[in-house]
Amino acid sequence: MAEKIQVQMSMYDKLQILSDAAKYDVACTSSGVDRKGDGTGMGNCRASGLCHSFSADGRCICLLKILFTNECIYDCKYCINRSSNDVVRTSFTPEEVCTLTMEFYRRNYIEGLFLSSGILKSPNYTMELIYATLYRLRKVCNFQGYIHVKAIPGTDAELLGRVGFLADRMSVNLELPTAEGLRLLAPHKNRKNILAPMRLIQNRMVENKQEIVLYKNAPRFVPAGQSTQMIVGATPETDYQILNVAESLYQKFGLKRVFYSAFVAVNEDTALPARTGEGPPLLREHRLYQADWLLRYYRFEARELLDEEHPNFNIFLDPKCNWALKHLEQFPVEVNRADYNMLLRVPGIGVKSAQRIVKARKMGNLKFDDLKKMGVVLKRALYFLTCGGRMMYHTRLDEDYITRNLLNTKEKLPDSVSGMTYRQLSLFDDMNYTDSQTAQIL
Amino acid sequence: MKKVYICNDTITGIFSAIYDAWKESRDKEAGIELRGKLDTQLFCEYTEVVEEERKAAAVEKLIQKHLGYNTYWDIYHALLSEHPKKAEAVFHVMQTARTVGNSKKVMDHLSNPDVALVFELSRKAANEAHQFMEFIRFRELEHGILFSEITPKNRILTCIGDHFTDRFPLEDWMVYDKTHQEFLVHCAKHPWILVSGECLNREEAEKISKAEAEFERLWKGFFQSISIKERENPICQRTHLPIHFRQDMTEFC
Ligand code: SF4
Repeated sequence: MAEKIQVQMSMYDKLQILSDAAKYDVACTSSGVDRKGDGTGMGNCRASGLCHSFSADGRCICLLKILFTNECIYDCKYCINRSSNDVVRTSFTPEEVCTLTMEFYRRNYIEGLFLSSGILKSPNYTMELIYATLYRLRKVCNFQGYIHVKAIPGTDAELLGRVGFLADRMSVNLELPTAEGLRLLAPHKNRKNILAPMRLIQNRMVENKQEIVLYKNAPRFVPAGQSTQMIVGATPETDYQILNVAESLYQKFGLKRVFYSAFVAVNEDTALPARTGEGPPLLREHRLYQADWLLRYYRFEARELLDEEHPNFNIFLDPKCNWALKHLEQFPVEVNRADYNMLLRVPGIGVKSAQRIVKARKMGNLKFDDLKKMGVVLKRALYFLTCGGRMMYHTRLDEDYITRNLLNTKEKLPDSVSGMTYRQLSLFDDMNYTDSQTAQIL
Repeated sequence: MKKVYICNDTITGIFSAIYDAWKESRDKEAGIELRGKLDTQLFCEYTEVVEEERKAAAVEKLIQKHLGYNTYWDIYHALLSEHPKKAEAVFHVMQTARTVGNSKKVMDHLSNPDVALVFELSRKAANEAHQFMEFIRFRELEHGILFSEITPKNRILTCIGDHFTDRFPLEDWMVYDKTHQEFLVHCAKHPWILVSGECLNREEAEKISKAEAEFERLWKGFFQSISIKERENPICQRTHLPIHFRQDMTEFC
């Protein structure tokens, strides 16, 4: 019966099913590689990436994000495609994926292809199909645009190696932050199996860098690097655990990006959090991205931002303000003397403004007015800074006092989370945001 | 009496005016007005500029050599705007450059109103050009030509030519700027050219290929199904993709 449906299904229906099933993957970026077209085919890549449209949820559409198949032999509890779900199953052929990619690309709908997949028969079997697709796209269609492909854990190293030479970015989904979470919700997967291909890709990338030094024209292995994603809010991990995992992925696996995906309930299952009608935990996701940013660009370590006693981010303050308030003994900072790393830690000073300050103060002493021109957000920074020994206003270096004032200045949340209601915020009470913590702030 | 040069609103026209003004009035107060956007004042001497490629080329070289490539880039982009004072502001920036220590850094003097205007116009045009690289949609016409219509505020066609030429070297494609009635035309394996003074043959432009309607339908379907219902957020969508662009985009039509 299922076979029959598959044969008769139109391209339109297949695309509906296989994009609908792929939409929960959060990574949609075409960045990380600069490549001009060579004049013999179609496509190029830009390091900063391009976005071609924005869907109704406000997310950027830059890649044709699809599954090769939504058939799956596994039964991950959070996934719409799990084997125990009764959903219509279908698969593309390599030719169909190539046609869609090429025709969408020609019309400037997309930057390239994001190909993920359920597991048909076995990891190797599925990955061979994906390889055949990419091979055709690159070598027969001569497509030179962006390709992001998922590596399926359990695939042979040799096969992954071949795929990596055709893709720009590869990612292996971590799925859930801890091995325990994985055991609960993805009974067919395990941590070791997921980390193995990550390590393999990392090693292959390092080798490839050396090959390129020796032979300038050596083929490139995932030139835009590898990324991963994990689901936030399906299992009871704390922000502290999640951030620690992210940190070790950056340090030990050399990942380009870690993506966080607020859990969206698609299945009813006793192992999953009950559906609340509150929607996915978008603010929590946002705080994790902010903290991730601090790890990657602000030289923070996970254990500085959170600890066992305070394992979750403050819902009212961004992680950097939160850190500063807990470390008032290090403030105020003198703008004209503080070293670069310390400047980076001041709320309201970003990477660019810190760099500008370091450059500009060589020419003479800086005043508060100058800071404004350099992009410093004074309404946050003023509590933590002195210029020539003076604070901007007569402010107190006191946690409650500053907290109150910072809360009054209203953080500008991105549109993606500011649509939330108070009811949604209260969701965090269930997630270890103890009453005392909120009580403290209000 | 203050001299005012009148020219056509094209790069060649404006550069020709700057050429004349630079020759005769670089040390004096002088203005440049655009034909069709004229703002006549008393006590000015108006002269019509004779437009010449030779003059334009000389000014281009002059700016690049003395003000550097980055300044040239800003000037070029500013001149793609619709602002009536853009040409005059550029001329004044060139005059200002002679008075500052390092004329290649003239664009850093943002407290000067002419510099500020050129800077702002340039940023706006460049941003718009970038947005069109992303939001342009092509449709396939009967003979396989890819055709696109856009409604830009600035004359950005020349800014996107290289991008699409590199991207689609083997395709015949054409972008029609409805606001300024100009065409960016690319024939397979050739460099792009800018065509103005031609009219669009509406009837031909509507003759889409056999496959076209189906790919549009597929794309629209994809556009719907890729959105996560639980996260829907039209405000966020509008911030990133302003309504203005949507009139020419397949997925919104
Ligand atoms: S492996 Fe798990 S997450 Fe992936 S498609 Fe199958 S059921 Fe879904």
